[in-house]
This record gives sequence, C-alpha cells and structure tokens, in this order.
Amino acid sequence: MILRIWTIGHNTIREAVRNKLLYTLLFFAIALIGTGVLVSTLSYVEGERILQDVGLAAIRLMSVGIAVFVGVGLIHGEVERRTIYTILSKPVSRVEFLLGKYVGLVLTTWMMLGVMAVAFAGVSLGYGAPLDGGHATAFLLIGMELLVMVAVATLFSAFTTPMLASLFTVGVYLLGHLSRNLRQLGDQADAEAVRPVVSFLFEVLPDLESFNVTLEAVHQLPISPDVVVTAIVYGLGYTVVLLVIASHLFSRRDFR
Amino acid sequence: MSTEAAREVVRVEDVVKDFRPGFGLRVKRVLHGISFDVREGEIFGFVGPNGAGKTTTLKVLMGLIRATSGRAEILGSHVGEREFHRHVGFLPENPYFYSFLTGREILHFYAKLSGVPAGQREERVETLLDWVGLGEAGDARLKTYSKGMLQRTGIAQALVHDLDVIFLDEPMSGLDPIGRMEIRNLILRLRSEGKTVFMNTHILSDVEMLCDRVAVIVHGRIRYEGRIETFLGKNARMSEVVVSGVTPEVVQSLEESLGGELRGHGERIAIRLEEKHVGEALQLLLSTGADVVSVTPERASLEEIFLSAVQQGESDPEAQGARRSRGLRGPGNAPGREDS
Repeated sequence: MILRIWTIGHNTIREAVRNKLLYTLLFFAIALIGTGVLVSTLSYVEGERILQDVGLAAIRLMSVGIAVFVGVGLIHGEVERRTIYTILSKPVSRVEFLLGKYVGLVLTTWMMLGVMAVAFAGVSLGYGAPLDGGHATAFLLIGMELLVMVAVATLFSAFTTPMLASLFTVGVYLLGHLSRNLRQLGDQADAEAVRPVVSFLFEVLPDLESFNVTLEAVHQLPISPDVVVTAIVYGLGYTVVLLVIASHLFSRRDFR
Repeated sequence: MSTEAAREVVRVEDVVKDFRPGFGLRVKRVLHGISFDVREGEIFGFVGPNGAGKTTTLKVLMGLIRATSGRAEILGSHVGEREFHRHVGFLPENPYFYSFLTGREILHFYAKLSGVPAGQREERVETLLDWVGLGEAGDARLKTYSKGMLQRTGIAQALVHDLDVIFLDEPMSGLDPIGRMEIRNLILRLRSEGKTVFMNTHILSDVEMLCDRVAVIVHGRIRYEGRIETFLGKNARMSEVVVSGVTPEVVQSLEESLGGELRGHGERIAIRLEEKHVGEALQLLLSTGADVVSVTPERASLEEIFLSAVQQGESDPEAQGARRSRGLRGPGNAPGREDS
C-alpha cells in the first residue's frame, strides 16, 4: 500500500513541477518577498519587521495559491485525461490513489515553501534583518497550514469541478482565517438564533489562525511550545478527518 | 478454437446502469439488465454501435462505475473488489499516458502499481517493450509517440503483471491499416499464450477475423450472444450457381424441387439456392450436359447482420425492454443466445 501511494505521489510531484502555473506563483511570491525591501524603505522605523511581515504574508498567500490552483487541476486532470482508468485497473484502491495525489501535492507545496523560505532568508540576510528559531517555527506552521489546505482542495476536487473546487477552497481559506472573528461576532450578536449557527461554523471551519505566528516571529516574541504542539495536533487531526471524508466521496464517484 | 466446457472468467448477470444527467430527478437507463459470460482462453467481441453501452459495461467491469443493480464478476470475484486486478489488464479507448514520461518509465510506473517485485521489474519492462515492438523507442518521451505506438504502450501496460484476462476498449480505434494489423497480431499472440481477451469494438471486420464468440449490444440490451459462426448464419448460407446451356425443364426442376430462384435469362442464367442443395443441383446440371460457369457462396456479412440487429433495436426498443435480454432472438436466423 505504501509503495503504491508513494508511486502515485512521486509521479504527482513529477507532473506538478512541470506546471507553468506553479512557477508563475513562485515567481510572484519571490517578487513580493523582494518588494518588501522597497516597502520597508517607506518607513524610518522597523524597516526589518515590515520587510519580514510582507515576506511571510506573500509566502502564506502564494503557498495556498499553489495548493489550490495546482492541486485541484492535478486531480481533475487525471479524470479528464482518463489516466485514472489505467491506474485504477491495477490493484490500486481509490483511497490509495487519492492519498497518493495528496502526498505528492503536499510534498510539492512544501518544496515550493522551501524555495520561498530560502528566498526570504536571502533577502532578510541581505537587508540585515534578524533570523532565528521563531522564523523556523513560522515556516513549520505554514507547512502545517498547507497540509490542511491541500486536504481541503483534495476534498472538494474529489467530487466537484475544478472551478467550484477552487472557489470552495479559497472560501474555506478566507473563512478559516476569519473564524475566530466570526465566533466573537456570534458572541456579541443580539439574535439568539445567530449564536448556534456561528458556533457551528467555528467548529466546522478550520481555525487557520492557529498556524499564524508571523507576528511573534517578526517581532521576535517568544512562541510557546504548547501553541506549536497544539497547532500541529490540530492540523493533523483536521487533515485526517478531511481525507476520510474525501476518500468516502471519491470511492462512491462514477468515472463516466 | 474450442471453448467447450471452458471456465467462465467474466460473468455479467442482469446488470442495470442508470445515470442521472444534471441535478434533476430524471434517470437515464444506459444498461437494461444485460447478461453474458466470457470463457477462458477465448477472444470475446463485445460489439455494438456507438452509444450502445459497450464502454459503460467495460467501466462497470473495471470498477470505474458502479452498477445500479445486477452482478458482475471477474475470475469469480465481484468487480468491486481489488484483488482480482492482479490478474487483469485494461486498455481504455484512446489511452492517454503521462506525456512527460518515457515508454520505459511509464511501464516501470505501472509495474510498481501492479506489485511486480523490484527484482523482476527491469526484466519484465524490457521483455514487454520488445514484445510490443517498442524496444528502441523505450527512452523517447510519450509525447513523441504516434497513435499506434501509444496503443502498443497501452497493451504493454495492461500486460505488465502477467495477467489472465485483458480488456481492450476499441483497440483499433483511429489506427491506420498497419497499426491495426500490428494490434491484431498482438491480440492473436495473447490468445496463443492462453490469455482471455475481451474486446469492445464496432469494427466488424476485426470481429470476424479475431473473435471466437461475440455479444451484440444495441441500446443497452444484449441482442445476441454466441459463437461468431452462428452469428454469421452459417447454416442458412445461400449460393449462386451460374450455368449456361441449360434446358427449361431442368430450370423448372431446380425451382420446384430444390427451391432455386432464377435470375436472368438467355444463354447464361444464375440460380440462387440454399447451400445444402448445391451438390444435388450440380449433379442434375452436369448430368444434363449444362455448363457450370461458377458456384459462389453468398454469406451475409457481419455488417449486414449487425445493421439488421441495430435497426431491429431501433424500431422496437420498448418491446425489447419488456423481455429479458438473455432470451432475446438475435438478428436474422441467429438465436439470441447460443449455449456452446
């Protein structure tokens, strides 16, 4: 089973790295990281922090962009081009196929994250901005966020069209970063009926702010190990649930 | 070849498939309770016009879509199981492979998925590349392959794990005559090696040349299942005897006693009669001093019989639906199912 998942995953990476969209997004990410140098010169104070703030924000955004737009296309492409027919005619289950695509996509986004991290470190060092363990932790948690977001993209592409899957995934990403605000809004709402709805949404949507320690990293504030461990456990648990649902839906799908 | 008492490797029983187009409640029935079986070591032709349900049936067998009702088995296992896939190969219609891989790489990819042990993969891949005539093109990217080469790559990937049954969906589709001949030879070679071949096709000349048995599907219903010879109406062939110098009395005798049908007049005439009466007719003609110019057996081509089945299906689809597919009468004089 592991060999089959890895074989599909490895092939997914080989396919993804040939996607021009991947390099377009990577180019923009690196360009945005570089733009941080310009933006930071607009301020007399905290130029280094502005540089890193802009850089990390660009990395978060473009990483998710890669996860959504490259990821959704890869799974749909297998069905559209009917490569999935020959793969599933082998002793490969649909769950193994889906997990293989997921693993390949996660590793692709992590590789791109690695490239962006190197660019970020290069620009920071060139500018004289400090780099420490806080930055490494920030990248680790961006990696965890990608683990969740690729699972979200995989879930939607398991049963719907690439366009809808992309829209839904972007929607979950935006709401996932607003979910804490959503809960606060619900707590302050006058209407009783609103609270359970908002509470339900908070429980169902991923709390993506759990993976955001940009502020602490940039301002070199201490990051509690509890926060990191909780985020990792939460990310892994949420991913497993999403993949179980995706596998169930994918197993029931007709490939017409 | 004889398929008497051969074991069933594919069994389809009353399979129904409904699709729901769009979001409405309307259901479109694509397969209307089809039943047939495929026996070990034979080349089985699953024949029908475009849109008849051939590919849908094959997808049900490959587990790509699920039957609404009925049962389909391959090698005794339900098609929803995965284990039997170790013994089965599949070539989809117009196969597409990862164009960035080479022929050799794609076969390694499928060998890994099929569970071919690491120590045997290299040898297996090389053997297959040679077998399908792609040994020298093995390191070229698939995007540079011709359609025939891709089709042969498709057959090679289907065979990568040394199987018992191979399913081919329109294997000759879009190929030039040379490509078709190459694939035909590969199919015959598979049978000679004891493999069972299930072939979806609408190219009737290939069916006549290759298949031991056929099932004809029209509008999602099986119209005929049995040996190809029977389907062609072997027992009711007609022959045309062209003679000259024949007397009116002999002609009258041929018409009345042997059911001959006279065509033409004058010195040279043609008499059309059933093949079983040809010998008797020739004896009579020669004994009376007539000059036999030619004897030409007439045989309804598979195409004619097939078109007749299609027209029959089109003219009476609802009535056909009321009957169980397996009991249907076939086209012309062929029975609905021949239990050989």
